[in-house]
Amino acid sequence: MAVVPLEYNLRSLFVRRSSTLLTVIGIGATVAVLAGVLALQQGFERLFSETGRDDVAVFLRPGASSEGESGFTREHAETLIKGAPEIARDAQGQPLASGELYVAVRMRKHDGGETNVPVRGVQDFSFAIRGDQLRIVEGKRFTPGTDEVIVGTSLAQRIPSSKVGDVVVLNLTPFRVVGHFESDGPFASEMWGDLDRMTEALQRDGCSRVIAQLAAGADADVKALSERLESDKVSPAKVQTERQYLTTQTIALSGILVGLGGFLGFVMGIAAVFTGINSMLSAISARTHEIGVLLSIGFRPWSIFVAFLLESMLLGLLGGAVGCLMALPLNGVRTGTTNFQTFTEVAFAFRITSDVLVPAVLFALLLGVLGGLWPAWRASRMRPTEALRRV
Amino acid sequence: MPIALIWHNLRRHWLRTGLTMASIVVAVFLVCFLRTMIVALNAGIEASANNRLWVQSAVSLFVDLPLSYQSRIAAVPGVEETCKFQWFQGTYIKPSNFFAQFGVDAEKVQTMWPEMKLVEGSYDAFVSDPLACLVGVVTARRFDWKIGDIVELEGTIFPRPDKSPWTMRVAAIYDADNPSFDKSMFLFHHDYLRKALESGEALGQQGVGVYVARIAPGTDATAVMAAIDELYENGPQRVQTTTEAEFNRQFVSMMGNIPTFLRSIGGGVAFAILLAALNTMLMAGRERTRDFGIMKAIGFRDSTAFGLLLGESLLVCGLAGALGLALFVGSAPVVAEAIARLFPGYRATPETIAVGAALALGVGLIAGILPAWQAGRLRPVEALRQEA
Repeated sequence: MAVVPLEYNLRSLFVRRSSTLLTVIGIGATVAVLAGVLALQQGFERLFSETGRDDVAVFLRPGASSEGESGFTREHAETLIKGAPEIARDAQGQPLASGELYVAVRMRKHDGGETNVPVRGVQDFSFAIRGDQLRIVEGKRFTPGTDEVIVGTSLAQRIPSSKVGDVVVLNLTPFRVVGHFESDGPFASEMWGDLDRMTEALQRDGCSRVIAQLAAGADADVKALSERLESDKVSPAKVQTERQYLTTQTIALSGILVGLGGFLGFVMGIAAVFTGINSMLSAISARTHEIGVLLSIGFRPWSIFVAFLLESMLLGLLGGAVGCLMALPLNGVRTGTTNFQTFTEVAFAFRITSDVLVPAVLFALLLGVLGGLWPAWRASRMRPTEALRRV
Repeated sequence: MPIALIWHNLRRHWLRTGLTMASIVVAVFLVCFLRTMIVALNAGIEASANNRLWVQSAVSLFVDLPLSYQSRIAAVPGVEETCKFQWFQGTYIKPSNFFAQFGVDAEKVQTMWPEMKLVEGSYDAFVSDPLACLVGVVTARRFDWKIGDIVELEGTIFPRPDKSPWTMRVAAIYDADNPSFDKSMFLFHHDYLRKALESGEALGQQGVGVYVARIAPGTDATAVMAAIDELYENGPQRVQTTTEAEFNRQFVSMMGNIPTFLRSIGGGVAFAILLAALNTMLMAGRERTRDFGIMKAIGFRDSTAFGLLLGESLLVCGLAGALGLALFVGSAPVVAEAIARLFPGYRATPETIAVGAALALGVGLIAGILPAWQAGRLRPVEALRQEA
């Protein structure tokens, strides 16, 4: 079967370049919107999932889905820490585990609005477990047992009086900011202080969750540990690895964003397909005579169909490339929104990843196919005699 | 005459006209939809009553106030009545069934929220049964609840160690005339929660997240707010009293950059559609070069050619805009129903309709001007020389 040379279609796209350009940019804008929404979702989700560790276990109260809802008394937390042989121990034989308090505290933002800042009270071992996941970039760590706090770099940009040396008041107690820390995960949006000082200042009982470093090879036992503890009469708990826990924290917002992206892609895609059909129909009608020639010198209708479909797919691909280029400057742009799971504000950056680009390009290709099917079919059905008669 | 010509040309390329119009219909609909989402985000603020004040912890949205605060707040001059309002967050069958539940002083609901109109059941039934609940029409319809149905909630903040559910009976269903009033709330007796926490049947901290205070007509709200805040200036838990509008606004401001984000998407849609319309009009102009040559040769003015193409563009976009707006207005009740949980208050407002109309006509004008200008400048000799 003779195939119409691809060059024919390439040249045709070039000859009607103003129409090609407008169609390509139109498809590009559609693809860029989809890519933008996906990049937002990726930025948010990866902030959580990429920093979650498999060798750290998170203990929550059964039934609680986030640390904001969870709570243990101090005795309960101690029992949990002492009773789990899966927890790693330091050189002195102490379990590498720490109770943590998590409270979303109201604070003013630079722009005057109010935001919920995640404030975390931690014990010594939290730092040991985090290792270099948490890096002090200015000042020093807070001294245990004192009214000092350290502030994540993402948070420090958003709220006033968070510079080293400033004082923040939690309920009635003034805390001094003694350092800034950097972290790749959601911790960078948080403020950390001593667990006991925090529970007292914020009038909370006990702590919100327990985190523990798992002994080497124990990460496989987390499920068994969880099953054992969930049915425990005295000190029940739900246990997940940190990665599992952080992944569950993104479900609500990720779901909304993927839904929104899908909906917008679908609706704008309809409009883009119509534009593509228009552009292809006009291209084909301008070349009716040529199609007649092709048919009369022996090209099969099937070849004509394939040729025009390819032309339309090329339009789609070009649109996809333009769309990705339009979305590219978004990469790294910082933004913030509320994580609906904890109702606290998280700062993160748009991320253009392969999970954004691949669906975007496939989507563009699909638009090209849908826009080209019918016009190509019409072209292939032309009768050579009639087509030749049209000048 | 020119109108007839425009009409004839549109019909000559009915397919292209139809596809272009369809794209514009979609775009106008989408832009109106996105704008309504932003408006809906702010809907709660508009629905706010100005005689209700909200007292919450000044420290955190998630820290409860002691039960003892209620009587002292009620004693502040200007306060007529107070009602507990405690976030519960129970799970109904599965987490994705989420709806907001609040423990309240059942006997005060009727006077505290006069906006609520009972469509089924009665306040008496709600108040007299300690396990009763009062449910918004949106939630009742979602789960097909009828009066007398048993609703079992699993506690998340307030779990029960014996794993039994919190069990309640639907006693009444409310609706409201104000489209922005939240019709998805689930209200139950705070006493049910309080007693279970006291007896140890359930775990969690005893307290109340928010007290709602109604002030007497003509009272200075600012003075009352200051007076309430002053009660606990020195602890144990400082309070923050706000108007209802401000209380709702804090939730909107938590959405962060989402409104900006929706606006940029709307901009992208408008841009894409402008290109599509421009493409169509350029094609229309190119194809009729010869027609315009003939018209000019037999004495029609340049302005007629200009007007014809611009008119065609405006007509296509105007018609499509009208269809898109009809689609938007017509579908609003259905869409509102579908997204009532996430965005209560979705409805077609005159401002949004005006925005949609302006978008359609704006696109028509911009897309028409370039081809029209080209057509107006055509020299008959050259135009005639071109093959059809």
